[in-house]
Amino acid sequence: MKSSTVAATLDSLEAIAEFVMAAAASAGLDKRASYHLRLAVDEIATNIIVHGYAEAGLQGALELSADIDDRTLTISIEETGATFDPRQAAAPDTDLPLEQRPIGGLGVYLAIRSVDEFLYARIGDRNRTIFKMHLSSAPSEELG
Amino acid sequence: MAFSATLTIDSGIAKITMSGELDASMAPVFQREVEQAAVQKAKRLVLLMSELEYIASAGLRALIFAKQKMGASVDIYVVGAQQQVMDTLQMTGFDRSIIALDTYDAGMIENI
Repeated sequence: MKSSTVAATLDSLEAIAEFVMAAAASAGLDKRASYHLRLAVDEIATNIIVHGYAEAGLQGALELSADIDDRTLTISIEETGATFDPRQAAAPDTDLPLEQRPIGGLGVYLAIRSVDEFLYARIGDRNRTIFKMHLSSAPSEELG
Repeated sequence: MAFSATLTIDSGIAKITMSGELDASMAPVFQREVEQAAVQKAKRLVLLMSELEYIASAGLRALIFAKQKMGASVDIYVVGAQQQVMDTLQMTGFDRSIIALDTYDAGMIENI
């Protein structure tokens, strides 16, 4: 298990991406699966930083961990920002032309669809978001 | 990797050359160039993406902004997008509102 703690600010996104890509390389994920895992973690981390901390007037840190077993690469983010369950977010209408689209909702939508398993739990005052990629298989078949 | 976006406008065609990784921390850099293209009342917006390694939803939001600010009649061309970037445009349905080209096609884009 590897772990890293970063400040809950947008400046940390680069370090978060590096952490995820290093874990993906260690797990032997292919380029496409690595990209989609990075996208998922980046989108949720952005959401946590912007909505869970900045807009809530909070400061804090994101604790990242990566765990690899025979079948799965698991990345988790734990933090104490405002509660937000990404699974409850309304899906955007991806059929609308851009000129009619509301701003927002795309990040969570992409994140959930980009990984093989997406889990969220509120435990006491902590949010835990977990991303899993199955090894030696393609990522979610929904990815065109 | 750093992100950069460089805007040039010629004969009503705004071209933004994008490179690196466009996450939420870099989105304001891209947004500024898109706003500038809108202010200049460009008739076409061409995004040269061959060197763009990554795009997050914050970058996609700038495209929604571009379409709403510049008007629905302003076509947005995406040129040379890498496969994973294209995947994201397709997953979000953006591919139906933009014109994706493998390479820059002057005959098509500059025929205003």
